[in-house]
Amino acid sequence: MIRPMLLALPLALAVGVTAHADHLKENPVDVLMRVIEEVPDSPYLLQSEQNLMMMEDNPNLWTVEDGKDLFYAARGPNNVSLETCDFGKGPGELEGAYAEMPRYFEDTGRVMDLEARLVHCMMEIQGFAADDPAVRQRHGSGSDHMKLQSYIASWSNGIPWNPPMDHPLERAMRDAGEYIFYRRAGSLDMSCQTCHYETGKRIRASVLPNSRVPQEWTKAISWPAFRVGHDHSRSSQHRIRGCYWQMRQAGPVAGSDGTIALISFWTDLARGQPAILPDMKR
Amino acid sequence: MMLNIKTRNAAGLAALASVALIVGACAAVDYGESGKVDYTKMSAEELGEYLVMESGSWNMDQEVQEGGTARDRMTQDAMQKVCSETRNQPSPEQAGQIIADARASIQYPEGGIRLGDWRNGRDLSWGGFGFRIVHNPDDHSLREPSGNCYNCHTMDPARPGGNLGPSLTGYGAQRGNNEATRRFVYEMIYNPHAYFPCTAMPRMGAKNLLSEQAIADIMAYVLHPDSPVNR
Repeated sequence: MIRPMLLALPLALAVGVTAHADHLKENPVDVLMRVIEEVPDSPYLLQSEQNLMMMEDNPNLWTVEDGKDLFYAARGPNNVSLETCDFGKGPGELEGAYAEMPRYFEDTGRVMDLEARLVHCMMEIQGFAADDPAVRQRHGSGSDHMKLQSYIASWSNGIPWNPPMDHPLERAMRDAGEYIFYRRAGSLDMSCQTCHYETGKRIRASVLPNSRVPQEWTKAISWPAFRVGHDHSRSSQHRIRGCYWQMRQAGPVAGSDGTIALISFWTDLARGQPAILPDMKR
Repeated sequence: MMLNIKTRNAAGLAALASVALIVGACAAVDYGESGKVDYTKMSAEELGEYLVMESGSWNMDQEVQEGGTARDRMTQDAMQKVCSETRNQPSPEQAGQIIADARASIQYPEGGIRLGDWRNGRDLSWGGFGFRIVHNPDDHSLREPSGNCYNCHTMDPARPGGNLGPSLTGYGAQRGNNEATRRFVYEMIYNPHAYFPCTAMPRMGAKNLLSEQAIADIMAYVLHPDSPVNR
């Protein structure tokens, strides 16, 4: 029922997306269709025909455009742009940078995710204080963070996830993230495994992604994405907070090593599959 | 490679000071000569535990509805630990211990296991309220915590239910409402590890997530012949 419509979709969409974000070489919905072709019966990837059809008009594409303006604007007390920020591939080099995060950064001696790296550059390069709304406000499509993260991430659209594991800290964080992923705790005795270990499992009507199927998992971790139910674009850190809230566990601190370890592990699970950026989720 | 303490936040520093005391006994975590933590010298379990419990990565000081703080919730008990380590595949010996502990945890209502009000049980089964904290804590003075049953089970087929657990549609119609069935359902809700060690299902009684009356009402929703689950 869903497939004949989907096959017609990319053709209809080929023109539209470039009007928004001309650095996107491939339409994100085409990337997703490539992934679906590998697992054509995936209940998670096919759960919402409506969302697939709406990806052409993904509101996050506007957020990407806003982020582009912000990225190149001279801002902050130092009145400079983010063009000298190094996301791992050299200053201002954005293409494929997010697909290789989290990674170890020599200048901070830490493994950092996109959000932590962005905070670092906004403070160190642009001179923003930690409590400046530009740095502090992490959630909502109107926040600088969602705009900038969406723009930077979109440069990895269609590029396979490939977080580096060369540095001993990168391996240590990935392995600790795996431990945390399976760690049951809280009022409901849950871990990430409870919901993300089998294909076709649902919480109420929502189909859950299986962390052991990389094709499902790449969509699951492709943040920022526009969440239709929230009417906002959301980040990886927002996803983690939501899961810990539902699990009745303690609240994760954005930018902390614990959350970055989790993101290191979950990105490693999607290794080799193309990032879908921006994505659109239920 | 070494993480400098100076770059960590104040909460992390405080946590670090406290872990140094605790970890002294374990002698597994290498803090180096000047109090630096070297992640690369820790096992995945040591680093994972350090990150969760001691690094300030989670807000452990938030108060929780049952009293105490989030730290209590993140501190694993024996079942949580074994099930995590084995990814829910305990050895026969481990499973036996989990079952024995679960059986010992179950307290029965005075005067026997009775069914409550299935209509109230319907609302409690459907609801997802209770015990959430973080950015949007549930205020238990406004509402009674509910059972979250539909998250994982289909019950009344007219309502969408999850499938992490088995469908309960027609459960009472198939099994009847006798003493043995009531006892089994009560124990399953109270502490399902008594039957299925390392099950995904929460311990609604043993962890005081549902009151005795709430359990009786949910049992009525599952077992009463007039309940939409059984019609």
